[in-house]
Amino acid sequence: MTPPAPVCGPLPPDWPPIARRLADAAGFRRISLDRTVTIAQETFFTIDVRAKSPPTFLPGGSMKRLVTALALVLCAAHPALADKVATPIPIGIAVGQTSNVALFGQEQVNGAKIAEERINAAGGVGGTPIALVFQDTAGDEAGAVNAFQNLLNRDKVVAIIGPTLSQQAFAANPIADRAKTPVVGPSNTAKGIPEIGEYVGRISAPMTQVAPYSVKQAMKINPAIKRVAVLYAQNDAFSSSETVTFQEAVKNLGLETVTVQKFQTTDNDFTTQVTAVLGANADLVIISGLAADSGNLVKQLRQLGYKGLIVGGNGLNSPNMFPVCGALCADILVAQAYSPATVDKNPVNKDFVAAFEAAYKKGPAQFSAQAYTAVQVVAEALAKIEKETGKKIAEFELADLREALNKSLRTGSYMTPVGEISIQPSGEVEQKAFYVSKIVMNPDGKTGSFVLVSE
Amino acid sequence: MDFAWLIQSLLNGLSIGSVYAVFALGYTLVFSILGIINFAHGAVFTLGAYLTYALCVGRFGINGLLSDVSLPVTLPFFAALLVGALLSGLAGMAVERLAFKPLRKRGADPLLALVSSLGVALIVVNLIQYLVGAEIYSFPSDIFGDLPMAVIFSVGGKPVAVRTIQIILFGASLVMLVGLGWFIGRTRGGKALRATAENADTASLLGISVNRFILGTFFISGLLGGLSGTLIGVSFGIAGPYFGVSYGLKGLAVIVLGGLGSIPGAVAGGLVIGLGEAFLPPDLSSYKEAVAFVLLFAILLLRPQGLLGDRLEQKV
Repeated sequence: MTPPAPVCGPLPPDWPPIARRLADAAGFRRISLDRTVTIAQETFFTIDVRAKSPPTFLPGGSMKRLVTALALVLCAAHPALADKVATPIPIGIAVGQTSNVALFGQEQVNGAKIAEERINAAGGVGGTPIALVFQDTAGDEAGAVNAFQNLLNRDKVVAIIGPTLSQQAFAANPIADRAKTPVVGPSNTAKGIPEIGEYVGRISAPMTQVAPYSVKQAMKINPAIKRVAVLYAQNDAFSSSETVTFQEAVKNLGLETVTVQKFQTTDNDFTTQVTAVLGANADLVIISGLAADSGNLVKQLRQLGYKGLIVGGNGLNSPNMFPVCGALCADILVAQAYSPATVDKNPVNKDFVAAFEAAYKKGPAQFSAQAYTAVQVVAEALAKIEKETGKKIAEFELADLREALNKSLRTGSYMTPVGEISIQPSGEVEQKAFYVSKIVMNPDGKTGSFVLVSE
Repeated sequence: MDFAWLIQSLLNGLSIGSVYAVFALGYTLVFSILGIINFAHGAVFTLGAYLTYALCVGRFGINGLLSDVSLPVTLPFFAALLVGALLSGLAGMAVERLAFKPLRKRGADPLLALVSSLGVALIVVNLIQYLVGAEIYSFPSDIFGDLPMAVIFSVGGKPVAVRTIQIILFGASLVMLVGLGWFIGRTRGGKALRATAENADTASLLGISVNRFILGTFFISGLLGGLSGTLIGVSFGIAGPYFGVSYGLKGLAVIVLGGLGSIPGAVAGGLVIGLGEAFLPPDLSSYKEAVAFVLLFAILLLRPQGLLGDRLEQKV
């Protein structure tokens, strides 16, 4: 590995403000590279710190150690600047392939691999193939941070697609942002993701955009709906924030929330909540929870005689509901950012679904479609750069390309399996259409499917 | 607060409270004979639910080592309930033989028995997970044939709805409680059981085979545990191998609340906690799990011996 160029002179302007403040407080005049060491494939610099005068607010030795340690950390995060883009063009995929998110991460890997295969079969980016570099983030923040570090510094990727969970994104995305490398979130739907930094964007529509569609659809099916009961799992962060979105949607659509009931994801006896819903005379029930508890809640609602419509949040958008509420799952409405059923209207999706089914012998889930979309968007943005500059991607300096790619991602629109999308300058996705599906159970009462009812 | 809500909550509370009572009786019986808490009771509760499920459906589930195993015969629900409960009773006996008897023979500290029963519980729960996976299993919805799913009537113009399963829960628990009351109060075996509970040494001098009665007690305790597990499983689904854990804790609260070792106390404690949960205002219903223990602290402050427990007096 070639040692990166020396960082000499005053602190570079892109270093975090906190470091600059510390450096000023310590009275730095300049820092210069002393030597480089490579530990576990990470390059660190030891640096020579020259202070104007001995700092006074800490004993001399410990101040020097503190500053040196700080500078070490900052230098490690500071990207190497003199690299060329490798061929095939490396694109990082940092998703959770192990731990409790493996179910989702595996679906993302499957979708991304289909994209790589299709894009390269069609000639890659202007004749240069792309190569996906997979890094497992597992399910926690530390795993995501490690994966990002490896992709940025070791694999020299042009962009990172990931991580799987929003909470991982809050921890890992700032690292890519500091390294001026674009991140495309394939499944982060929490509030505040695009605000993490200038280089952070996503193609997964936030819940705030998706959720209202199912309520609108319920009103289409039954225009007489007036009184809404909202139930949510209060010990689940996602459900707690999703319910706020639902309650706002209810208010904006001119409906009345007659009762708000909380439960725990570990609950299985919902008699009290159901009794309250029945007593409030609701004609629409909205549930934000996970598959198991929500399935049980739906079952008890139906058994106790609730006959109205039920709208489910993202947690109910899962076949794991079927064994829990069986035949009683029927007719639950869920809004989705992706539906495999749009193949007639969307040729890109038709192509994706066919390739996916041929490869994995099953239909794609939303996570797969969104991962495919993310890879497609990055590849198309790279192609745009070649077209506009007339320069091959491989001729770019890595840092310049990352910069150009971030801008390119945010221009124009993309026709993808999830429909037409674009990424705003803020990094937020703008999706043209959302889909509402309802659960249709098979006669055996154990298996079922999500059937598209509207767009 | 209206009358309909009152009636509704009363019915909900009686239904779930009666199951708590049946479950807690299993704890209490063992405690009254041996003076120790059998922590494996919650695991037997889980086991009973899974066994009944397998007997009803003819398969052990969709995951785990036994997912491909089919049973040659399926039973109608009430027959499966009975067989599942009897098998749980045998499991209770196995717990006694494995976790309690060897220690009793050595005259070990009762605390050791507590720890060894906890060990058995963990082994059983993990074994269940290994064999049938961690999925949620729901009993088929047509398990009661053509019975309607709920009985709905109106009180003062407002609907009161009771699920059929809640009525079955209450009925089955009532049958068990009455049956057990009759057995302990009216039969020779019950008398011997009470004598053993009173004083094991004296009972054995009177010709009662104490070891046999201890084993019999564990059988009845396991039967009650398995039966209550099935009833809860049918009502809410079997929420994975660990679903007996929270009921196990609740059962402890029930017997302490009712008075350790008191059989009527276990029934009263179960009903009090069931009703306490049901009468919790809907806004607070997600904190239901804490009710049992809040009630427990409140009662213990007022009556340290529990609702129906005997005051412990020490002669000096």
